[in-house]
Amino acid sequence: MLLSYNWIKQYVDLPDSLTPEELGLKLTMSTVEVEGVEKQGKDLENIVVGIVKKVEKHPDADKLQLCRVYDGTEDFQVVCGGSNVVKDMKVAFGKIGAKVKWHGEGDLIELKKAKIRGEESFGMICASAEIGLGDMFPLEGEKEILDLSSFEAKAGISVADALGLNDVTIDIDNKSMTHRPDLWGHYGMSREVAVLYNKKLSSYDPADIKPGKELKIKVEVKDTKLCPRYMAVAIDGIKIEPSPEWMQELLLAVGLKSINNIVDITNYILFDLGQPMHAFDKRNLSGDKIIVRPAEDGEIFSTLDEKEHKLSVDDLVIADGEKAVALAGVMGGFNSEVKDDTTTIIFESANFDALNTRRTATRLGVRTDSSTRFEKSLDPNNCELALRRAVELTLELCPNAKVVSEVVDVSNFTLNQGPIELSLEFVNKKIGVKLEKKEVIKILESLGFGVKDKKDVLFVTVPTWRATKDISIAEDLIEEVARIYGYGNIETVLPTFPITPPERNELKTLEKKIKDVLSLEFGFSEVYNYSFISPKWLEITGMDKEDFIELDNPIAKDRPYLRRGLWPNLLENVEKNLHNFDSVKIFEVGQVFDKLNPGQRTADNSDELLPRQDLMLGIVFAGKGTDKPFYELSSAIAGILDHFNCQYEFRQKSDQKGDFIHHGRASEIVVGAETVGGVGEINPVFLNKVGIGERVAVLEISLNKLVEQVTEKNNYQKLSVYPAVERDVAFLVDKKVSNAEIIDKLKKVDDLVKGVELFDVYDGKNIDDDKKSLAYRITYRSDEKTLESGEVDKVHGRLVKLLEKEFNVEIR
Amino acid sequence: MKETLDKIKKEFIKGLDEVKEVLQLEELEQKFFSRKSGEMTEVMKSLKKLSGDAKKEFGKLANEVKKELEGLYLKKKKDIEQSKMGDLADTEWIDVTEPKLPKKEVGHLHPNTIVQNELEDLFISMGFKVLDGPELESDYYNFEALNIPPSHPARDSQDTFYIKNNKDWVMRTHTSPMQVRALQKYGAPLRAVVPGRCFRNEATDGSHDHTFYQLEGIVIDRDISISNLIAVMKELLQGVLKREVEIRLRPGYFPFVEPGFELDMRCLVCEGQGCGACKHSGWVETLPCGLVHPKVLEYGGLDPKEWSGFAFGLGMTRLAMQKYKIEDIRHLNSGDLRFLKQF
Repeated sequence: MLLSYNWIKQYVDLPDSLTPEELGLKLTMSTVEVEGVEKQGKDLENIVVGIVKKVEKHPDADKLQLCRVYDGTEDFQVVCGGSNVVKDMKVAFGKIGAKVKWHGEGDLIELKKAKIRGEESFGMICASAEIGLGDMFPLEGEKEILDLSSFEAKAGISVADALGLNDVTIDIDNKSMTHRPDLWGHYGMSREVAVLYNKKLSSYDPADIKPGKELKIKVEVKDTKLCPRYMAVAIDGIKIEPSPEWMQELLLAVGLKSINNIVDITNYILFDLGQPMHAFDKRNLSGDKIIVRPAEDGEIFSTLDEKEHKLSVDDLVIADGEKAVALAGVMGGFNSEVKDDTTTIIFESANFDALNTRRTATRLGVRTDSSTRFEKSLDPNNCELALRRAVELTLELCPNAKVVSEVVDVSNFTLNQGPIELSLEFVNKKIGVKLEKKEVIKILESLGFGVKDKKDVLFVTVPTWRATKDISIAEDLIEEVARIYGYGNIETVLPTFPITPPERNELKTLEKKIKDVLSLEFGFSEVYNYSFISPKWLEITGMDKEDFIELDNPIAKDRPYLRRGLWPNLLENVEKNLHNFDSVKIFEVGQVFDKLNPGQRTADNSDELLPRQDLMLGIVFAGKGTDKPFYELSSAIAGILDHFNCQYEFRQKSDQKGDFIHHGRASEIVVGAETVGGVGEINPVFLNKVGIGERVAVLEISLNKLVEQVTEKNNYQKLSVYPAVERDVAFLVDKKVSNAEIIDKLKKVDDLVKGVELFDVYDGKNIDDDKKSLAYRITYRSDEKTLESGEVDKVHGRLVKLLEKEFNVEIR
Repeated sequence: MKETLDKIKKEFIKGLDEVKEVLQLEELEQKFFSRKSGEMTEVMKSLKKLSGDAKKEFGKLANEVKKELEGLYLKKKKDIEQSKMGDLADTEWIDVTEPKLPKKEVGHLHPNTIVQNELEDLFISMGFKVLDGPELESDYYNFEALNIPPSHPARDSQDTFYIKNNKDWVMRTHTSPMQVRALQKYGAPLRAVVPGRCFRNEATDGSHDHTFYQLEGIVIDRDISISNLIAVMKELLQGVLKREVEIRLRPGYFPFVEPGFELDMRCLVCEGQGCGACKHSGWVETLPCGLVHPKVLEYGGLDPKEWSGFAFGLGMTRLAMQKYKIEDIRHLNSGDLRFLKQF
């Protein structure tokens, strides 16, 4: 919201020494966030009112004119491309040295003498947007220059003076005052300013309305919850004219274009008191009854801006006997707007429910200054003040105007004004200061609170403008006292805490360790991907949409599903990165969303459970020339698991189907008794489909499952005093016999076998297709004595025999 | 016998003196100690033939000589080896600027992870628990228990991702739901931080993304005041930034705190003089914070008369971007290794 400094000065007598910038800072520190303070027309230096004396065609350009512009003292030749430039027009003449924005965009550029298509040009005839007046004078056609002919100013007068731009605007961040309905008008803001500078606030007390009897108006409110108050009054003898300059200037300062006296009065009051109002043309209301009712389902209604809306029963409308004439709290109707020949009007000053107004405005996409205010929960007491002020102004601006009806007031509201009990001890404990009671009372009273001092406790009555929802408990009062006292004046003290170490988060510790091992030891880089995946991917991978949780309102239509695993997005990363790198080694740790299994409670006392959301680790490997990337990942995860005190194995998955996972290169990862995840290569058919040229392996495990299996190591194997003997054995064996089976069997041959390690695999040339050559190193050791070679030979012989018998190997 | 031994000794020492390299030394060793025909070996063998006192006397003498010669031999051997090693250091040379080939590939952590790790370590050192929670949250924890009534604009669908067919589920819009979950689980007193992923249904551009990271903090104890909050926030920021900082508090509205604040920090780029980074104000909006609203304490199962506390939210994504001067937020979720390999 824009604030006008001049407007505020109407209500608070601010010292001349105060600058608007200082006021802005003070407001930021104590009340609301000020985003900027701007002097009106600050960029209008060297831009004056000029009169076009002559317009000729540019000899060398079809769309340009040669103009002679008079600046009050002399004539200048100016090349102009304006489509609407004509002789005798008053224009904004940017002289040499003026700063303008070309076509209203980019940075300010200083004008210099120029030659345009061979003709000299001493300055520029400006369009409104080029000199920062685009909001005030919106363009009606392209290449249109600003026409100032309707202004009385003489040639040579600065444009800023000609337009009366002597105000300073203070831009308030609307988000910082969503909880303060009282600040959405200049009077409320002035009240705050008066407190901050310890000044007196002028009273807001317009004349009472003298009712008339010529017209009868009745108001019926069908839903008093949605409309707690509705006031209306009729005025005859209206003459629609431009509003006076002072009003136009104030409205301009806050970014509003003047329309006519009546509409301007309603807008003025909106920015003055923060109370939206509406004026109906009485001619267009049939009958004498105004009905506030829910819209009919499917009711069609055209708002002032001539847009058609389809309403529902959740929307509230103002209607006459036949039709809706306004969308309550949002916008008036096209059918009853004030026109140039309007003579009788009905002013509406009402209060509408915050939530309902916002819902209607949001659903229909019509956010207005009015709905923005109603959705903050306005004080219904303002309806009356606003109506009195509107009538007062109307009678002032239209000398022949006369109130011709009773003031109708249908009112059904109560406000909770307290009192709230507040002890001085509570104030000082919460703020952490030692304030005197009288200081607390002074602050509260200056803000309009009523305070009754009853010994140890203050009974604080909330003013109506803060009582709609803003202030209801003692903590709310703490904020009032503290912010006016000044947060910067609070002496800071560190709290004292016992030195108990925090409980460790095992899952986090595991996650951190895994990330370190993967990146530092195995050379994988960490990526973050979005939690969403696209239906396209589901389709390609042949997964069922039904198994996925779907967003109701996705930002991009192509990614509405919540990921159940990390690998789909990781595969996309692979595809993209292979354009720049020969190998892609990446991992991600993130939550996934399991529609089929339950997780945490939705509330502490609810039986409803959220979907399970495990923290997953996903790793992907793809590298040029790596034909079995599976082993890159299985050895990486083995490297990780070796860091923890747990038993694990890779269990071949032989039941793989479909064209996503490689049927012969997939494994479950079993840790302890639990399958924590899997590792496998992507089916080459699939890789081909998505355009990845290298073999790719993926791994995924649930860290929530893994953390259950991990314990801290707390013992080691005693060192043996007897030497070990190593023997190697190499053999040919059927390809499908697994390393795990062989190791398992060999370890059981004898107690002397202390280690079995595969150190070579070969399945290339000179070996049958269904065979592979394996070589193992066996470590023999006794815990009781030094082994003699004869003893080792004996056991090794048994081991070789067992290989031949169990696995049908051919010793090499 | 004695003469033989003296002669062997003399010859051996003389031979040793003449030795210049290992090969000669080995020859000498063979000559005297060879198992088959070494001169010393022969003497030792001949001892067997003696008996009585002679055997005793010469045996002792022979052993002494043998030991002495062996000692001299070993010393000479060591000397030769040593002089050879000394030579190596003078003759060998490498190019120290060459890398080891093939180069070992080094992995990288995501910039957000690096910042998060630092923050977690800092908070753990200050006695905070590090917690995590579900990213898909219930309306109850994300809004209601945080004193965000159904009428609050934050619930509008333009800010929140809702879940289809379950109007009570949302993608959490902040890490604050864990305030109430933590209170319900651990009670008071409590010191905890919650780093995590949050979601807002916002159009994406260079400085906005619908997915970002926050770090929530909550401190609950008896008699926690605004004064305490300012003091802790200052310590904390100094810990994060590893330097002295100046902060200021101003009003800010968040339904789950009362009073609520925006905390600004004196701009570190221009030292408060005003620059592009602080929009020429000298101050940078750093984090929202406030005293925990009594309703939130009640939802957490605590009596607001007995307990009080403060909460704060740190924009981790923003912090990471500032730390590394990352100009476009979209790099963070791009998975582009050209970007990620720089950290």
